[in-house]
Amino acid sequence: MIRRRHGLLLVAPLGLVLAGFFIAPVLMLVPTSFGEYVPGAGIAKGVWTLENYARIITDDYYREVIWRTLGLGLAVTAACLVLGYPLAYLIARGPERWRVPLILLVIFPMMLNLVVRSFGWIALLANRGLVNNLLMQLGVIATPLKLMFNMTGLMIGLTHIYLPFMVLMLVAAIRNVPRDVEAAAATLGSTRIHVFASVTLPLSAPGILAGSILVFVLTVSALVTPRMLGGPTYKVMATLIYDEYMQLLDWPSGSALSFALTAITLAIIWLSGRVARRWAGQP
Amino acid sequence: MSADRDGRPGHAVTIAALAVVVFLQVPVLVVVLAAFSTTSYLTIPPQGLTLAWFGKVLGDPTYLSALRMSLILACGSTALSLILGVTAAYALFRRSVPGAEAITAVLMAPLVVPAVVVGVALLQYFSLTGLRGSFVGLLMAHVVITVPYVVRSALASLAGLDLAVEEAARVLGATGFEAFRLVTLPLITPGLVAGGLFAFITSLDNVPVTIFLISASQTTLPVLIFSSVEMGIDPGVAAVSTILIVATGIVLLLAERRFGFHRFV
Repeated sequence: MIRRRHGLLLVAPLGLVLAGFFIAPVLMLVPTSFGEYVPGAGIAKGVWTLENYARIITDDYYREVIWRTLGLGLAVTAACLVLGYPLAYLIARGPERWRVPLILLVIFPMMLNLVVRSFGWIALLANRGLVNNLLMQLGVIATPLKLMFNMTGLMIGLTHIYLPFMVLMLVAAIRNVPRDVEAAAATLGSTRIHVFASVTLPLSAPGILAGSILVFVLTVSALVTPRMLGGPTYKVMATLIYDEYMQLLDWPSGSALSFALTAITLAIIWLSGRVARRWAGQP
Repeated sequence: MSADRDGRPGHAVTIAALAVVVFLQVPVLVVVLAAFSTTSYLTIPPQGLTLAWFGKVLGDPTYLSALRMSLILACGSTALSLILGVTAAYALFRRSVPGAEAITAVLMAPLVVPAVVVGVALLQYFSLTGLRGSFVGLLMAHVVITVPYVVRSALASLAGLDLAVEEAARVLGATGFEAFRLVTLPLITPGLVAGGLFAFITSLDNVPVTIFLISASQTTLPVLIFSSVEMGIDPGVAAVSTILIVATGIVLLLAERRFGFHRFV
């Protein structure tokens, strides 16, 4: 056994890097979020205010962006579940020789550059994009459908981007459902749908929860896809933070929004941990 | 859900699942098509085929220097993350550190905090410390966002290990480091390759942290694509993207052949 002193020596380098380049920067953002922004001059010296946080709750525009972000998170999570479950089921329970090719086809878009995938959706969904061109050629529509710079575009793009995470979590969960429990239910006269609803689905619930939390947290913190498919006007929390920092240079407001976003993701993760423990307690 | 009595997926499930697989590949195929198309917007069928966009991109120093920057950053941060992450994970695994669980939670924290928040926090920090626009700052930022993947895969690989093997090496006279290098390290290598690959791709992919930290002279490829899309669709972007798509596909297939990559995701 290596001694404690050696153990600390091995953890210390990474610990110092994280302390210096992650923990300290985040902590130093705290005072900024209580600072007062003076247009043109930056942050007022020696002035402390709760205004930045108050505005998040009281300002109509901020509230709209936050509700939009949360709604988008829920919608994308639901879409990933609905689309992901059949695919995960096929990978977990389908023919053996399909398994590896299917998993690779799920991983491939996941490994692919996020900017590239979002660009692909722009080529598809833009006014002169593939979808609109095709529909107009076929005479289905006369004028292009508005598929970008709105909820539709963000929904499609983000669902595509986070679907692989959901599928991989669900595959693991469905594989953990004992086949003999399902077989027993079937032998006892349950219909297929009943076996699925009363055995498979509840037993894969922990995986469904884990996958949903992952997708929700990733969606509400996403910057690249919402920016590329939503443009500069249709904003979510992450793109609003980006603009507060890069366009408006209002760092106090941006940092308060950053902490609000972090608080939302931490709260969701904490809540799901409690739910998971409760499930584990009473199987 | 129409599953068979023995739990095998029925036709409806299979068809739905295959449709989802197609949905996952659609934007990828569209990008590749756009890269070879003569028109700047896409039509089906494509109006004409050309390699001109590839020539334009490969002759463009902006793209080439951004690509070089991305690769240097990804290689550097992956190497640093592997060294720092594996040593830390090993100490945590051997339970030779007090408060191992709390430390593990801290090491994983960069995954929980939204990337854009890490980005703005580092922007302010680097502005105050004078590291803004420096390569070192950018490199350390990438270590912070990639190291959790390495730690996680190292811990998972170590958990599947029989400690007795290493103890046997020690009994036979190996020093602690020899035992680790000759016995433990080879056993956890496939897991580390997977973790390293995730770290590499995370670094190569990153925009939300990088975009706050780059200087005018050093941009990365995804940030360059991200900014040029804001100015409109350019088939050059599709050509660069196609190169990335092919490279990603090759790396994924190689990793699968050599290490059975699908087991580690």
